[in-house]
Amino acid sequence: MTTAYSAPSAPQEHGGEHDKHNLTGFIIFLCSESVIFLAFFSGYALLKTSALDWLPAGVEGLEWHMPLINSIVLVSSSGTIYLAERAKAKGSLWGFRGFWLLTMALGAYFLYGQAIEWSGLDFGFTSGTFGGTFYLLTGFHGLHVATGVGLMTLMLIKSFIPGNYEGGEQGVQATSLFWHFVDVIWIILFLLIYVWQRS
Amino acid sequence: MTSASPQKPRFTPVSMLGLAAWVVLLIGLSWWMGQQAYHWLPVQASTAAPLVDGLFSFETAIGTFVFLGVVSVMVWVLLMHRADKYDESDAEPIEGNTRLEVIWTAIPFVLVMAIAVYAMRVNTTLGMLGPMEHIHLSNPVEEVGGYPGDRLPAEQVEVIARQWSWEFRYPAANVSSTELHLAVDQPVTFRLVSEDVLHGFYIPAFRLKQDVVPGRAIDFNLTPTRVGRYRLRDSQFSGTWFAANQVDVVVESGDDHSQWLETASRQPLQSGISDASLEFEQRAQSGRSGWATVPPAPPPQVNVPGSNLLPHDG
Amino acid sequence: MTLATFPADEPKPSWTRYFSFNTDAKVIGIQYIVLAFFFFLIGGLLAMIIRGELITPEADLVDRTVYNGIYTMHGTVMLFLFIFPVLNGLNNLLIPTMIGAPDMAFPRLNAVAFWLVAIFGVLLMASFFVPGGPAYSGWWSYPPVSIQNPLGHLFSGQGMWLTAVALSGLSSIMGAVNFVTTIIRMRAPGMGFFRMPVFCWTALAAQSLQLIGLPSLTGGAIMLLFDLVAGTTFYDPAGGGDPVLYQHFFWFYSHPAVYVIILPVFGIFSELFPVYSRKPLFGYVYVALASFIIVGLGLIVWVHHMFPSGVAQWMRNLFMFTTMLIAVPTGVKVFAWLGTLWRGKIRLTTPMLFCLGGLFNFVFAGITGVMLATVPIDLHVSNTYFVVGHFHYVIYGAAVMGIFAAIYHWFPKFIGRMPYEGLGKLHFLLTFIGANLNFLPMHPAGLMGMPRRVSSYDPEFAFWNVLASLGAFLLGVSIIPFLLNMISAWVRGPKAPHNPWNAIGLEWLLPSPPAEDNFGEHVPVVISRPYGYGLGKPLVENQEAIEQVLTAADLQEASR
Repeated sequence: MTTAYSAPSAPQEHGGEHDKHNLTGFIIFLCSESVIFLAFFSGYALLKTSALDWLPAGVEGLEWHMPLINSIVLVSSSGTIYLAERAKAKGSLWGFRGFWLLTMALGAYFLYGQAIEWSGLDFGFTSGTFGGTFYLLTGFHGLHVATGVGLMTLMLIKSFIPGNYEGGEQGVQATSLFWHFVDVIWIILFLLIYVWQRS
Repeated sequence: MTSASPQKPRFTPVSMLGLAAWVVLLIGLSWWMGQQAYHWLPVQASTAAPLVDGLFSFETAIGTFVFLGVVSVMVWVLLMHRADKYDESDAEPIEGNTRLEVIWTAIPFVLVMAIAVYAMRVNTTLGMLGPMEHIHLSNPVEEVGGYPGDRLPAEQVEVIARQWSWEFRYPAANVSSTELHLAVDQPVTFRLVSEDVLHGFYIPAFRLKQDVVPGRAIDFNLTPTRVGRYRLRDSQFSGTWFAANQVDVVVESGDDHSQWLETASRQPLQSGISDASLEFEQRAQSGRSGWATVPPAPPPQVNVPGSNLLPHDG
Repeated sequence: MTLATFPADEPKPSWTRYFSFNTDAKVIGIQYIVLAFFFFLIGGLLAMIIRGELITPEADLVDRTVYNGIYTMHGTVMLFLFIFPVLNGLNNLLIPTMIGAPDMAFPRLNAVAFWLVAIFGVLLMASFFVPGGPAYSGWWSYPPVSIQNPLGHLFSGQGMWLTAVALSGLSSIMGAVNFVTTIIRMRAPGMGFFRMPVFCWTALAAQSLQLIGLPSLTGGAIMLLFDLVAGTTFYDPAGGGDPVLYQHFFWFYSHPAVYVIILPVFGIFSELFPVYSRKPLFGYVYVALASFIIVGLGLIVWVHHMFPSGVAQWMRNLFMFTTMLIAVPTGVKVFAWLGTLWRGKIRLTTPMLFCLGGLFNFVFAGITGVMLATVPIDLHVSNTYFVVGHFHYVIYGAAVMGIFAAIYHWFPKFIGRMPYEGLGKLHFLLTFIGANLNFLPMHPAGLMGMPRRVSSYDPEFAFWNVLASLGAFLLGVSIIPFLLNMISAWVRGPKAPHNPWNAIGLEWLLPSPPAEDNFGEHVPVVISRPYGYGLGKPLVENQEAIEQVLTAADLQEASR
């Protein structure tokens, strides 16, 4: 039976193996999660194209300058998180923490900008399907951004545990992947909501 | 079969003959079942009914053949290929047969495609009877529907579905009713609207069904072909008295129909049929408590209430 | 050889582990199955009330509001609290043992997924007791009926229903991530995908469907919940919403959900027919791949549930074609099972009887399914009892029968005791007759135009409904020998050897019941395809030595 250990394809190795499971599982989860967004996006498109009066009375459309700045902030945070990962791969733990923190700050700024935008709008969640889908999409996405920032905080704290990265990635890769996912979703969302204003 | 050696030819002439005889028998049985299928359906009372029934009969025959074929194999195996009581050995290991696998992929494919093409042709014919689904976004007044001139239906009826009553309006004759009256062999267009939730406009004898969607006005055409009294049932669950939301459809000769419209237009407005309202009141009086319900809409005020208690043909 | 640890000498684990947050997949599997059957009894009781009401044409047994609540809860309980959990239970028991993994990839996530089921089960049961009663809009929960909220409370049966369904979705996604990761990453050495048992193939296919489809329902349900409690108008035409949008969200998941249910049952058939015919599975590769063809097609058929909702003619035709095409890979599987049976050495054990009965019912259901796919026929029979009959043939006639087969087949492995054949055969007989008597008469009633979900009906349907009700009561009785069998076998059944059916598969190279970490460090190396009956090729390296140790342990156990 000892041959079992030496078999080339034996997936029973320990150590880093469990981490690979985590990453596989997380990727599978993200694929599934993207379908929820797909459902919301298609619902939005369907409601918008079939609506007679899309905008509620008194609403002219969405102001897109500030959201554009917000988008640039969020998209550039994808770059900083990549730099953080690179720094970590090179063994520079402080470089990693610096870029990681910067990413978190950009994410937090995005949430702040979103909150400012929400508070300045003259329509609410119940203002027809326009208001409903707007808050549903941006809110659901914002929830993901907040989750991402939370995950990053957790990873940052864990990076101070001595010897944390010796066994494997310990979730940094998964968090980074999640962050890119959140960014891509935002780009689609921005195109759908802010760019595609006229039906 | 346990004594059969692997080299033994599987199909002797006698067994082939037996198999052929069995297949012929199954084909006969399937054809007979296809004929029987007509009796499982209500009377045919619209131009759509014979088309649908023909397709159903065809599918019943094919389905019977497939079902009996599979079951024959199962029964044969159960009778002939049973292991002896203390026989623990394995059977001859056949792992597959590419030719067979190709055949039994191709045959079902051809069968279902044949059915699909037949069904599409029926679909097209049904569509020619009148545009089956003309969906307009909530604006029942302006739209009149786009029919080719020669197929312009003789009569237009507005159908208003509510929780839980049906109201039929004949705008040309200025008549409203809670019993649907149609002239035989006359194409008719319904404009289906709902004032609250989803309902289903379903007349089994006509073999046609269309959901009534709130916020939309849906045009729907059919041509009744048989004089009689039929049932119109709500087919999309609409709440507490969903099951009681049934009224009658009366198909009558053209003269009778004009007569009916004529008489009806002189009737004063009165409460139409709403079984739900009656039950709701009884329920309140008897103090019977169930779970929560939306109260029924008040019975529609119509010229002719009609009846939904008379014997019907299907 | 390091097999000496196999006879389990450690103290017997306590029964209390079944009531705790245990992370052993085998414990979780049994937890799932037992909980599922608890809810099966509740769902069955609701079915008895439904059939009791429908045995007469008038609405006379219960109030109409009560009837609507009960039929809604019957569907919800049976799907979300019985059939999905029971299948997840089988997945938990079978996937790790069949692929030689010590446990699932994420054992704690696995336990969380199970306890979520218990939590939303309690939530759903509690909804019977809130003011206004439980949800009453059917398991489809179509708006606007489902957002009417007659009492106007923020807290309603419908709201609890939606919360429960969302939790169920969360639990299923957790489960699906776990099963897929486990199958992809934790197979025994040498077990390539084409040496994997078909049950694992079908589980992989079914769980992929969950991952793709379920988020759509969850998204749709979230929007419905907002419509119900927050005053949005996604589905409310009064505020510009569209009720048909929900139907798309709902059916995009809920049609594939039927394949999520039936695919593992195809897996069970594919496992069991070879064992009890003593022959390899006919066309193994094709049967395995057909599962994924079904997945691909299953995702593009959902509109066939909405033919009468007012979809365009081209859409009707397109979705009719895709739906029809599903008959082809499904047919391939049916013929492959027949090919497996052909010239086999058939042994009519209880599991085999359930498989044969299930196959019989499934073929019938497949034929009515093709009928339903054709638009003109569907326009006549959709939303009638014809659909109810078809659906119950699939779910009860085929899926539940297959699940019973699996339970009888693998009970000795995971409980370590043998169920009783006599009671099992009685259970089969009652189930088979009951199911056909219950569900066959629904077809003529539907063809004559009896709508589904009615609490009263025209007297011309009475004959068929009386038959159906009698069949339902027989089905109610049929569960008694099953429960008797399971309980008494578990308590005092004869000890099971490691391989009572003389079956081939990694799980049969473990003692009955297996140790907590299955093979532990000694995972055998798989060297051939599954189902090598009569081929004389061993499944794994050193098979003889492993068998010897296991048989010795069996003998030792028997002599105790």
